[in-house]
Amino acid sequence: MGNTQPIIVVEDLVAGYGDRIVLDHLNFTVRRGEIFVILGGSGSGKTTLLRCLVGLKKPISGRILINGEDFTAMSDEEQIELRKRMGMSFQGSALLTSISVGENVALPLREHTKLEESTIDIMTKIKLELVELGGFEDYLPSELSGGMRKRAGIARAMAMDPEIIFYDEPSAGLDPIVAAGVDALIRKMQETFGLTSIVVTHEMESVKLIADTVCMLESGQIVAIGSLEELERSGHPYVHQFLARQPDAEEGGDSSYARSLTGID
Amino acid sequence: MNVMIALAGRIGRSTLNALAACARVSVLMVETIFWLVVAPIRGKGLRTKSAVESFVEFGVRSLPIVGMICFLVGVILALQSSYTLEKWGANRFIATLVAVSALREMAPLMTAVLITGRCGSAITAEIATMKVNEEIDALEVMGLNPIKYLVAPKFLAMLVAVPCVTVIAMFIMVFGGYLASIVVVGVQSSIYIEETIRALTEKDLVIGLTKSLFFGIAICWVGVFRGFQVEGGAEGVGLQTTSSVVTSIFLIIIIDLVFTVLFYFL
Repeated sequence: MGNTQPIIVVEDLVAGYGDRIVLDHLNFTVRRGEIFVILGGSGSGKTTLLRCLVGLKKPISGRILINGEDFTAMSDEEQIELRKRMGMSFQGSALLTSISVGENVALPLREHTKLEESTIDIMTKIKLELVELGGFEDYLPSELSGGMRKRAGIARAMAMDPEIIFYDEPSAGLDPIVAAGVDALIRKMQETFGLTSIVVTHEMESVKLIADTVCMLESGQIVAIGSLEELERSGHPYVHQFLARQPDAEEGGDSSYARSLTGID
Repeated sequence: MNVMIALAGRIGRSTLNALAACARVSVLMVETIFWLVVAPIRGKGLRTKSAVESFVEFGVRSLPIVGMICFLVGVILALQSSYTLEKWGANRFIATLVAVSALREMAPLMTAVLITGRCGSAITAEIATMKVNEEIDALEVMGLNPIKYLVAPKFLAMLVAVPCVTVIAMFIMVFGGYLASIVVVGVQSSIYIEETIRALTEKDLVIGLTKSLFFGIAICWVGVFRGFQVEGGAEGVGLQTTSSVVTSIFLIIIIDLVFTVLFYFL
């Protein structure tokens, strides 16, 4: 790891939809160059947290400092500048379906830089080689398999040589072999380019392979944060339940369930 | 009593919803105008290539169907008016009736309705699908404004395409009326042409084109707005697409009425 200076600092973050609070006063720090995994079950608020971090959702209160600058208080133009140094790989890859894979990767370069078309071509090829999709430039996203689309999405996220890359459920919906390939790719990106990676997932197998720090969310609150070993030792009941993959305990058994259905005591 | 309260609640809620929708439409309008007018002046560029592609789709590719329908409507107009005019021996005035109603009313209206069905729905479906697939989010995260990238070029294309197609539709409709009058009703060709020229003024063209310009604005804005409104998955896309066409046609009729009344008194 070596470098331990913070790159993202979240202070007292509160976010929600309408009256419903989804993230409840979160505080944490992401160190430069680490793979930071946000782990949690469905409805734990992990996707909302990711959307806040990339600026797709405005928090109700609190600050998100990226490289010491408050992302939430920036003007639109400053946000765009910052976004050029961030990449995001979406759950469903979110490639633009009307243009080819190569054009998808080239899009941020075309819009944000004044590079020559030939340079953009070469850079696109390099990025696609990086995710082992060399030669697929002219394919439409619909002509690729799920795993290939996901890797193409990562190539697009890498197009502008970002400092931080966000992955939303990178291995969701993929078979174990392909998922392991994507995990290895996330590790490779971090090791080769010193990228800070923030990964939202609920797959324990991925966490074991890639996580430097794990932040576990439940009902919008952080229940545990630290390395995986620290989490395993923490003894928090929810963490234990999640790691051991146990279902919620049934409350009251059959008779109370029958009562809840019929309304008769 | 309870019914009254429920009724009041329902009226209040739908008023609030309508106001919120108006607010969102206004924000969309302001942003689109910014990316169409202000941003290019400040050197932030407009995606002209994409606008040209959209123009081909909305304008050029709409021509066959618009031309065909407008020709038929021209024929219908001529035959219907002959039904009444013949009794007065005034068949030569079919020309006047067809020309004026084609330019002022029928050509702009038919063009707008057809382009709504062909392109307004397509705009909604495209934007809604992109939103459902997180493609809109992806654009934002890449620092690309979806209004600049998606909406502004379509809007510009629609603004040019609808009046252009309307002008061609006007000619075809008048030609349809001409052909029907000559072949079916038996009006003399030279008389028909003479009457048409005498009937038409620049004002007819201006009225028709003004309407078509506003129709274009309505089609694009409704299409885009409905697209961004989508919630859920494929079902939401279908719902918004249907509602986009219905809202568009409704708005087109309202705009038509407003301008017709306006020009009636002018």
